[in-house]
Amino acid sequence: MEGISLITLKEGKEAKIVSIIGGRAASKRLADLGLTPGTSLRVVEKAPLFGPIVVEVRGSRLILGRGLASKVFVEK
Amino acid sequence: MAGNANVGKSVIFNQLTGLHQHIGNWAGKTVEKAEGTLNYKGYTINVLDLPGIYSLTTYSIEELISREYIAVQKPDFVVNIIDATNLERNLIFTLQLLELGRPAILAVNMVNLLKKQGITIDIKKLERLLGIPVVPTEAIYRKGITEILDRGLELISSQLLISSLPKLKYGKEVEQEIEKLTRFLREVESDYPKRWLAIKLLEKDREIEKLIGTQAPEVIEEARRLCLRLEKIHGHDSSIVIAAERCYLASQITQKVIEVTKPKNPSLEERLNDITCHKILGYPVMIAILSLMFLTVFKFGNWSSGLLGSIFIDWQRVYEGFFGVSVFSSLGWAILESVFSLIQIALPYILPFYFFLYFLEDLGYLARVAYLTDNLMHKIGIHGKACIPLILGFGCNVPSCLCCRIMETERERFITGFLTTFVPCSAVTVIIMGLVGKFVGIAPAFGLYFLAILTIFGLGKLVSKVLPGEPTELIMEMPDYKMPHFKTVILQTWFRLKEFIFIAAPLVIISGLVIKFLQIAGWLDLIATILSPITVGWLGLPVITGVLLIFGILRKELILVMLATLLGTTNFAQILTPAQMITLALVSMFYVPCVATIAAFRQEFGWGKALAVTGFKILFAIGIGGIVYRLLSFFAQV
Repeated sequence: MEGISLITLKEGKEAKIVSIIGGRAASKRLADLGLTPGTSLRVVEKAPLFGPIVVEVRGSRLILGRGLASKVFVEK
Repeated sequence: MAGNANVGKSVIFNQLTGLHQHIGNWAGKTVEKAEGTLNYKGYTINVLDLPGIYSLTTYSIEELISREYIAVQKPDFVVNIIDATNLERNLIFTLQLLELGRPAILAVNMVNLLKKQGITIDIKKLERLLGIPVVPTEAIYRKGITEILDRGLELISSQLLISSLPKLKYGKEVEQEIEKLTRFLREVESDYPKRWLAIKLLEKDREIEKLIGTQAPEVIEEARRLCLRLEKIHGHDSSIVIAAERCYLASQITQKVIEVTKPKNPSLEERLNDITCHKILGYPVMIAILSLMFLTVFKFGNWSSGLLGSIFIDWQRVYEGFFGVSVFSSLGWAILESVFSLIQIALPYILPFYFFLYFLEDLGYLARVAYLTDNLMHKIGIHGKACIPLILGFGCNVPSCLCCRIMETERERFITGFLTTFVPCSAVTVIIMGLVGKFVGIAPAFGLYFLAILTIFGLGKLVSKVLPGEPTELIMEMPDYKMPHFKTVILQTWFRLKEFIFIAAPLVIISGLVIKFLQIAGWLDLIATILSPITVGWLGLPVITGVLLIFGILRKELILVMLATLLGTTNFAQILTPAQMITLALVSMFYVPCVATIAAFRQEFGWGKALAVTGFKILFAIGIGGIVYRLLSFFAQV
């Protein structure tokens, strides 16, 4: 079970990262900012028209481009 | 000094050394490392400000530089500055730094913001858990700065053996692998500590694999085996497993030292965030804020520029009265004129523009602009951060070129830089409004802006298709809103203004002299005649525009000033048809970046690219100018 993509999560919902697909560079960038498997996060805002999404993770907020966010798989 | 971006490293650095690093509520400004010296209690301390980074991998050049510096140059101590309001995320970097095994001090900055957020941090406990000195600081109020130095000096004089520091342990399985690999590395010679090398090998760090591979290829094989084992157990790439271990450790430490009592009512900052990032409201709010900024800057600019201009004319009389009118005195005057022309852009337009911008930056709004426009920017192959230099470009293209440093990759930096030179700056606005807006109508004037934006989009799409490489996704911190610190904003504005003058001055003065020389030698008319097939034949403009366009290279609004001088009237409608006015404004907008912009572009991207962009712009402006002129003339006849 790979979970669902982060972008399908509604605003205000919390979830836990189960896996990150995509290249080493992308997953490294996410890991540097504290987005690793097992991390809990909350979707704060989603910009309209497939814009970026804001997540709250480890007490701070990060803006993730939609493409990058679609590579993060979560589980409620 | 090392740490994440946007934690106040540069503020502390400036306070220590009195040098002036770029500061603002925006991640990723210190791209090159800055050095400075200070004397404290009889010691001479060299301070080095490393770029803001999130890890010590080889993902970016900044990270590579930083870790090499720390491991190879072996500074006496490293000050790791972290954001108190963002402890957990910042500690991930701290853990990586500690792996490098150099003496370190943790400066927990911005502790003044904790109270508002209902957070308390147990500093003593944090010190114990990490095994290094921890100093709370409020950098902008100069609190805790001397403590950092005191603890640092203590650290040096105590000769504390680094190996005696309590080791922070990761999870059991991972620790076992690290120990196994460390044993294999015993024979290997390196500036880096063995444990760190082992961790990096488990993270599949290419640089380290290369380094070890030449000495002991068997270690690499062992590392590969261990990586595979980790991957089998956890189901993720081994580098992710290690990263997750660090994150877990950071969160455990954080939970032990932090106490949060959430304020019941949403704070003012919170509400401000809700409005400015709102799905629908966010956009009109953004447009309103930016329009207000442009309008204010422009009104102020026109007023003060006129004021400075009249002072300048008086000075010219004084100068001529003193030195007389000769070839040499006019060349001398050309130098003064160039310097003055720079001041005349810098003070009226760039100064207020910078002030507004740094105010918004310090407030935390610029990150919201990046958030709101990311989608749009993606359509032209760059991401939301690029919006900042593009907005800057409306004030002046010079700072916008310099601002492109915030983009992550070379490719994106160039695309953004290239596009910013097409943004109509305040000088171009003077032409558009003074020529088209005044004599043709406000609608065609806005039409020109619209055309500029369309061009930027079209070219952006084209360039991002043509240039090799993948577009990078936006990933950045969303800083909390905070009340801007006025002293910081004002200092920032001032230092950037100085930078602008220093970069632009040499080229502006040289080209000022060359043009003056051409004028004295009487070659300007000749050049205008040579250019006439283009200016008259293709663009349908009077012959003198050739002269105007040459002057415009120096400073674009000179096109309008010279037009008035050469025609002997400011009522341009007497001489130019509406179609000619629009064409002239259009060509002025696109035809060449002014020398100051070329200078800035060269500094950021090199002569080759600067000249290529200039050449492209000339051809582009001539092409589009002729087409627009024909279309306009055609419709005027109908």
